[in-house]
Amino acid sequence: MAYTKEILTLAVEIGDEMLRNGAEIYRVEDTVIHILKAYEIEEFDVYVLSNGIFASANENKEDACSMIRHIPLGAVNLDKISALNQLTRDICEQQCALTDAWTRLDECRSLPQPAKWLRVLCCGIGSGGFAYLFGGGVVDLFFAFLIGMLLQLLMFAQSQQKMARFAKSLFYSMFVTALSLIPLMAGVPVMQDKIVIGAIMPLVPGIAFTTSIRDFYNGDYLSGTIHLIDALMTALCIAAGVGIVILIYQALKGGIL
Amino acid sequence: MIVIQFVISMIATMAFAILFCAPRNEWLLCGLSGAIGWIVYYVMFHHNLGLVLSTTVATFMLTIFSRTLAVIRKQPATVYLLSGIFPLVPGAGIYYTAYYLITGESALCYSKGMETCEIAVSIVFGILFAFAIPQSWLNKLYGKF
Repeated sequence: MAYTKEILTLAVEIGDEMLRNGAEIYRVEDTVIHILKAYEIEEFDVYVLSNGIFASANENKEDACSMIRHIPLGAVNLDKISALNQLTRDICEQQCALTDAWTRLDECRSLPQPAKWLRVLCCGIGSGGFAYLFGGGVVDLFFAFLIGMLLQLLMFAQSQQKMARFAKSLFYSMFVTALSLIPLMAGVPVMQDKIVIGAIMPLVPGIAFTTSIRDFYNGDYLSGTIHLIDALMTALCIAAGVGIVILIYQALKGGIL
Repeated sequence: MIVIQFVISMIATMAFAILFCAPRNEWLLCGLSGAIGWIVYYVMFHHNLGLVLSTTVATFMLTIFSRTLAVIRKQPATVYLLSGIFPLVPGAGIYYTAYYLITGESALCYSKGMETCEIAVSIVFGILFAFAIPQSWLNKLYGKF
């Protein structure tokens, strides 16, 4: 009797973990359905949203059960999505018993993130690289690299604080813009706009936007809308952050001169 | 010049792939998908083919490339697509729109704002067209691997 419940719990837990790490709706729904089928549950219903999973199994039988999960929008972790995908493949090919599946799910959950120093370095390299691609020179690349690293350090320092996502975007983009003004004021020959463009790239909602398009494509309009609004709000906050700092800078410059 | 653009876009995309915790073995391929998108965009844009067409084709190529890799490497296409899209995302547009709004140059602000929207819509179409190609075709084409 407890069997159905255990299978459904496993399927929903795997779906939960995928959604939490940024998989698109269609994949999550597909995964849950495939796992249920692999363990020979014939009657089920699965409904997935950007921030929730609803699933039921064997509704007309004695061991009927259903489950609801609330999953807040979070950061993307491609490694976990990939590992969970592999786990699902194995389950579907009947190569994975129920107990093994639980152990492997726990393994997927505890996959390590890249080391902190590496992420700081990568944020710098990415920012510098994009500053160059969007028309900056080598000097701009260098400053965007420094600011990108500082930005990631700030993100680590802030990660414990409970701040609204939008407030964070606003704050980070103000931070980046303010820092980019330092070499400009010091008289270094830089293109300040290219530095900012490079250094805001880690904040730009490319992922939310892409996920939203894919959700729309698969007919998940509600989830697509949630991600689209998330992307738009983040973009607005970045723009506002840039705007506020430049406004203050110009006011100060105007006052002094 | 193109080689430098290719290498830098590849390194920058790879750096972002690592930030999004892409699987270790896929880092290089994530970088490659970003570089392909950027180079297609770069070459087309500098041949005056227009912002919309360049972005659409670049996104299309990038998405097809991601889906192909997904089949070959048995990974979700998301891994390559989410990393590779970054060079095309209109971060610069967001900045200039805000900048011109603040400096009071409303004509420039309007044109940059429109440009940002155009890029976003182009990305949408690029991805939609590329996903319209049936999965079975890709599977067949790369089934030998």
